[in-house]
Amino acid sequence: MSDTKQQPLGFYADNPNWTSSSAITDDLIARHQTKHRLFKVVIGSLGIGVILGIIGLILRLVDGVSDTAQWGYTAAVIAFLLTTASSAPMVAIAPRIAKGHWRRIISRPAEMWSVAGLVTLLLFIPMLWVLPSLEDGRRSLWFYHPGEVFAYSPHLWTTLSILGLVVLGFILLWVSAMPDLAILRDRAEDGSVLKKRYSWLARNWTGTTQDWIWQKHRLGIIGALYFLMLITVHFLFSVDFLMTLVPGWIDALYPATHAANSLQAATATMILTMFVLRTFCGYKEIGKVQFWSLGKLMFALSLLWFWFWFSSFNIYWYGKKPNEQQVMELFIHGPYMPIFYATFILVFVVPLFTMIWNFLRRSIWGPTLIAISVLIGIFLDRIRVYVAAYSVSDQSSSFHGIDVIPPTVYPDVADVFIVIGAITASILLYVLLTRVVPIINIWEQKELLLYKLHKKYHRATVMVLGKPD
Amino acid sequence: MQDYSHSSDKELNSNLLRDVLGTPKWWWSAFGMLFLIWITGMGAYGWELNQGIGVLGVNRPVYWGFFITNFVFWIGISHAGIMVSAILRLTQAEWRRPVTRAAEVLTLFSLIAALTNILFHVGRPWRLYWITPYDFERGIWPNIRSPFVWDPAAVGTYLIGSSLFVFVALIPDMAAARDRASGFRRKMYAVLCLGFRGTPKQWKLQGVAGILLSALVLPVFVSVHSIVSWDFAVSIGVEGWHSTIFAPYFIIGAIHSGVSAVAMVMVLMVWLWKWDKYITKDHFDAIGRLLIIVATTWFFFFALEWIFALYTLESAEIALREWQVFRTPMGPLFLVFLITAFFIPVPAWLFKRVRRSHMGMFITTFLVNIGMWLERFLIIVPGLARRQPLEFDWGSYAPSIVEILLVASTFAFVSMGILLFAKIFPLIPIFDMKEGVRLRDEIQIGRRSVPASIRE
Repeated sequence: MSDTKQQPLGFYADNPNWTSSSAITDDLIARHQTKHRLFKVVIGSLGIGVILGIIGLILRLVDGVSDTAQWGYTAAVIAFLLTTASSAPMVAIAPRIAKGHWRRIISRPAEMWSVAGLVTLLLFIPMLWVLPSLEDGRRSLWFYHPGEVFAYSPHLWTTLSILGLVVLGFILLWVSAMPDLAILRDRAEDGSVLKKRYSWLARNWTGTTQDWIWQKHRLGIIGALYFLMLITVHFLFSVDFLMTLVPGWIDALYPATHAANSLQAATATMILTMFVLRTFCGYKEIGKVQFWSLGKLMFALSLLWFWFWFSSFNIYWYGKKPNEQQVMELFIHGPYMPIFYATFILVFVVPLFTMIWNFLRRSIWGPTLIAISVLIGIFLDRIRVYVAAYSVSDQSSSFHGIDVIPPTVYPDVADVFIVIGAITASILLYVLLTRVVPIINIWEQKELLLYKLHKKYHRATVMVLGKPD
Repeated sequence: MQDYSHSSDKELNSNLLRDVLGTPKWWWSAFGMLFLIWITGMGAYGWELNQGIGVLGVNRPVYWGFFITNFVFWIGISHAGIMVSAILRLTQAEWRRPVTRAAEVLTLFSLIAALTNILFHVGRPWRLYWITPYDFERGIWPNIRSPFVWDPAAVGTYLIGSSLFVFVALIPDMAAARDRASGFRRKMYAVLCLGFRGTPKQWKLQGVAGILLSALVLPVFVSVHSIVSWDFAVSIGVEGWHSTIFAPYFIIGAIHSGVSAVAMVMVLMVWLWKWDKYITKDHFDAIGRLLIIVATTWFFFFALEWIFALYTLESAEIALREWQVFRTPMGPLFLVFLITAFFIPVPAWLFKRVRRSHMGMFITTFLVNIGMWLERFLIIVPGLARRQPLEFDWGSYAPSIVEILLVASTFAFVSMGILLFAKIFPLIPIFDMKEGVRLRDEIQIGRRSVPASIRE
């Protein structure tokens, strides 16, 4: 019944050499252990970016933490990392729950982005001093009352949630990588450092039925917890470290908008990661089906972006209360109007009118260019809201609105360095992690080999995909 | 339990057309009972038309009561069809096949039921055409800035779109019925199936039309409930209404109640038509899992709505919330709403046994719909009933018997509609099931056989 004729690297990009479990293991382990000739150049270039970031952070700290306006760009880049890198593991978690086989080749690259959580966490530390305590009388999620509610509740809970997200991200990666780490353990020389490292990381994984059942359950539970923690982080950060700084900004939808944007940004991050892996790292197994699937998702998420944005905008536009008009002035038709329009075009208009076309979705370059557009748009959006909110001069002067709409805050050298440093540090950690963990999930490719076969159906050759209960 | 995957085309045709070409015994009594409830409601409506809307419980300042609650509820239920059918079709979820048609039909009758509530609600329904820009001579134009004008446009588009959706998916099945019916029925199916013969070109068009309609009807489905939510949210005069979250909150609430209603219909299809071979426990398991995600997301939005109501720190808003939760009669209703919409069903669905049990799913999804009806009531009425500054007249709200009868009649109407539809057209899409059989396969892994499907 089954046709063993191998398929060329095409839409599904089946590797013709992956005919058996051991062939997949040998190939992927060999590629993992081969160091690219440009590896050191990449590390060096990223290292320079990180040094610039450290310089920028020192310059910023020298200026002190009392002026929140100076820290707007730092808050924006933290939010950007939370929106992109920290959300990228969702591209592995959601299709895994939905049993989408196309995810298999990209689930590890997605999970590995959780390493960028370390940069977010480090950058977040100074923000604890930048954000005033609740004693300044501003509105908060914690309904501050002296003596009854801890005045640093926003600081405490947001820190715990970001820490929780980083820890869960690492656990997710670790549990998912355990079978592959066990292979590396078994292939390392006895007594070597690698043997010790992988023995520790792989614990006692031997691939028994029990091991596999536990791994499946753990991946499901940790994935669900990661999603819940991601929503919590977006909720707390977008309210405690953003909304509460703008008197009169009362938008119940915004935390959900912040989280929904992260799904779009995560999709864009993964499309770009796939492009780099395919084009520059030789992983041609990442085929058009992955770009096509994420391209469809991008189309839906661009519509979602518009719907969430319009749901808030429409209510403010109709309400026209003084505080609502001030918020619209600050974020939309005031000093940040050009950035708003740029965001609108890059995050909504461009993906919508390109990803609607199947021929563009089924290409490598189409979704990649759109992913770049979305990432730039999301970055601008984070600058728009965070820089604007941090520049509001007196958050506690009135509960009802902004006294004076502040002018545009342009980035200085320190801001530019911090932004470059934060992004390059995240990429650097990612690249370094590829030396420890195989970037393509070996066990998931082997599992796919069991669930997939090609067979003759009338005059066509079709693919049969198994979906276990 | 035996499933349909090894059924032949002949078997599928005869089983699924059995109750279309014949009539089961229970059908007449069920239909008769529902008709009685519906006609009683229509009698009450006649009384209302004759006497005026004074016979209703709505009065200053609560102008919106049971009818608007019921309107929002049925609009919510109508989202089920699109949710289950279009989204699952686009994502190629195999388990959708036996349930799509019932969900789509539920959409159709729910939308009609929702619209009748507007008719019941207005004093002079014969002037309903005033919402259209008709009167060029007098220069009277409807205020297009008002969501009340967007409403009929959106709901009308949705009704046309979903009717088309149902009709297009029915064409091959009507052709199958045509070939097996006689007399008037044969002529009717022959006209309705538009000459469908099952040529490759026709099947291709059928597939393309299904995908296109699925994609096109989704934005309409989002717009409909968003606009319904803006009926409330764009207003700044009523506490608890002016919130940015209303559109997504209403949509996710609609999906919660709508998918629950589909699960209820699925159980009834098993109980009444004995289609357990087609709607298996795996289907209930899948819809139960979907409901856990939907209900949890709904709860997140509910929590956001509440947190930000308190975040305003406005005394009137806080007083309203206090009244909703702690005072009679709203407090007990609020408790019932939360328990039935979330705290009983969701923990129950976490258990596979409940998800795979007909009775378990019927009870839990029934509870969800009680809760979600109350949710709409608790959004609409308390805000209006709270005394506002400078209000010259103030009273509370209690539904009259006319309102109760009319609300009951809408439930009877939807049930009756589905029964009638099932009498004329197959409630399980035959062609979709046949396609499922063809695309279904199995992969042998060791001693285990794993269900699989063919992908192009």
